[in-house]
Amino acid sequence: MRLLRIITEGVRSLRINKLRTFFMMAGTIVGIAALTVIMAIGKGTEKKVMKRLQNFGPRAIMLIAGGGKDLPPPDITVTTLTLADAEAIRNQIDGLEIVTPMAWDFNVNVTRGANLHQATVWGVEPTWHEAWNWHVADGEGISDQDVATMAKVCVIGETVRRELFGESDPIGERLYINKVALTVKGVLESRGASPMGMDFDSRVIIPITTAMRRVMNVNHIGAIRLISKDVSLIPRQAEAVRSLIHQRHHITPPEEDDFRLITPMVIAQLVKGIASTLSFLLIALAALSLFVGGVVMMNILLISVAERTKEIGLRRAVGATRGDVFAQFLTESLAVTIFGTILGSLLGLGVSVLLPKIIQMPTIITWEPFALAVAFALLVGTFFGVQPARRAARLHPVEALQ
Amino acid sequence: MIELKTIEKTYGSGDTATPVLKGISFRIQAGEYVALMGASGTGKSTLMNIVGCLDKPTGGQYQLDGADAGTLDDNALSHLRNQKIGFVFQQFHLLERTTALKNVMLPLIYSEPYPEDAEQRAEKALTAVGLNDRMYYRPGELSGGQQQRVAIARALITNPQIILADEPTGNLDSKSGLEILAIFKRLHRDGHTIIIVTHNEEVAEHADRVIVLKDGKIEQDRRVAQPRDAEKEVDERIGREDAE
Ligand SMILES: Nc1ncnc2c1ncn2[C@@H]1O[C@H](COP(=O)(O)OP(=O)(O)O)[C@@H](O)[C@H]1O
Ligand SMILES: [Mg+2]
Repeated sequence: MRLLRIITEGVRSLRINKLRTFFMMAGTIVGIAALTVIMAIGKGTEKKVMKRLQNFGPRAIMLIAGGGKDLPPPDITVTTLTLADAEAIRNQIDGLEIVTPMAWDFNVNVTRGANLHQATVWGVEPTWHEAWNWHVADGEGISDQDVATMAKVCVIGETVRRELFGESDPIGERLYINKVALTVKGVLESRGASPMGMDFDSRVIIPITTAMRRVMNVNHIGAIRLISKDVSLIPRQAEAVRSLIHQRHHITPPEEDDFRLITPMVIAQLVKGIASTLSFLLIALAALSLFVGGVVMMNILLISVAERTKEIGLRRAVGATRGDVFAQFLTESLAVTIFGTILGSLLGLGVSVLLPKIIQMPTIITWEPFALAVAFALLVGTFFGVQPARRAARLHPVEALQ
Repeated sequence: MIELKTIEKTYGSGDTATPVLKGISFRIQAGEYVALMGASGTGKSTLMNIVGCLDKPTGGQYQLDGADAGTLDDNALSHLRNQKIGFVFQQFHLLERTTALKNVMLPLIYSEPYPEDAEQRAEKALTAVGLNDRMYYRPGELSGGQQQRVAIARALITNPQIILADEPTGNLDSKSGLEILAIFKRLHRDGHTIIIVTHNEEVAEHADRVIVLKDGKIEQDRRVAQPRDAEKEVDERIGREDAE
């Protein structure tokens, strides 16, 4: 096929002038690599956000005792959050499905005979299971009865079960926290470790009343978990909770809060953090290198047309039409961008694979960036290739040969 | 088969208009060997380019094989050059960094249908000009005479009826020039129409007919009674060198 032969000619001249070809290609390589990395980071971050939101609870609001900006660890020395706050929220904020207060203590020694394990102790109401969508794998969860009677019972996480009970059945057995004997009534479903390496299963759940009066001996709680009826209500509810607690704790805004409100939006923002900044920089880099690369390529091609006028004249003399010459030069720009895209995609893939290892940036490799890259390549190749190709095609054969 | 009627060519327009050809008429039959002569700047190349359909006259009519070249569009003229005309230039115009074989095959890229045996044809054309042992040499590795022979092989690859050569020996020493003329002589004998542009009297003596241009007109159009035979002269020369 004639077009195929002419394309071959275009590619051949790229092969002959390797250095020139490389300079034409450089911008495309960098631009497409950046584009590939952007997409990989975007996908990776999106997945990480989704996972974190899934862990956090997509409809959840956490009200945690203690001020500050970032995520926990919570400040357990703050004693201002109380069950009355939870009650006030329950009575005054609309559209909440669950309001469940929690008292907590960290790195508590849990013992059974000679076995000792450090775990997080949570004092909870029965709605805790629903609020975290975290139920028992074995036995029973905390009940209203347990809370009402300040029952000396507990539900243990998988790690606690393993460490204290090994292969034996823990249900009905006793363990000790701060010298208080608690009967195990259930084992929680295993949730494994958090991305930060925190073991979710290293915990003991007890009735909140038991926790406050018998185990921890406190009048404050650590946090309140709220589950909204609808995600869209969350921003307004969070603000309502904030002003309610301000009012109850006598805080006037310039003054620092003694609590933190964490919503799914806060989590998403936090996870996206550097990824957004990096993506923005990469988008700028991609746009710049594709544009500058395109301009450089066009100029090299224009110089090349000027240098090769005799060749063009000769081709016309031996039978090339204007269209043939146009096709040959457009082939050069398209082949450069297409090949540059392949190299750029490979480079981008390499960086995408390395990024999570170097700076813990999550990336996911998909085919979409490649499709997008090819589309970009054809666009850039055509946009910047047409002008030189047209100039070549318009040369008068006789003048070209002189 | 080639018929020019009052062909005119004027470069530029208005005050800067330069008439170069001022009414050229002649007819060349298939199989003729014509030398186009004249002083430098008299318009020989201009005329040659019109005959080769590389350029269009500004006046007059040009018929090639009965077709009016003036009515053909660029694509048709390109096709016609590919099929009917083989060009040989003073500066050879070979593609750099490209083997002799690939250079010779160049016109076939634009031929339709593309011959199955393109490469064999190129080898045959190179063998015909005595370069069977230089097929994979690049222009930089060949002498001027050899480069011009590659160019002739290229002109022949589509087997065109007409060979147009513009000062083909202009850049060559006399021995290489004679070898080129010997090839033209053989092509003429094989039935090709040869038109060779030269300002050199000796070169013109090899043709059967000489057309002399002056001031944009034909000054002279004559038959050569006894054309020189370059093939014989090359043989004699080789004989002499062997004897020495
Ligand atoms: N593209 C052009 N524009 C203007 N003048 C030209 C052009 N090409 C050739 N000429 C002029 O036409 C005249 C004939 O040129 P040319 O055909 O090359 O002569 P020759 O081949 O006989 O030496 C010269 O005076 C030259 O300057
Ligand atoms: Mg000339």
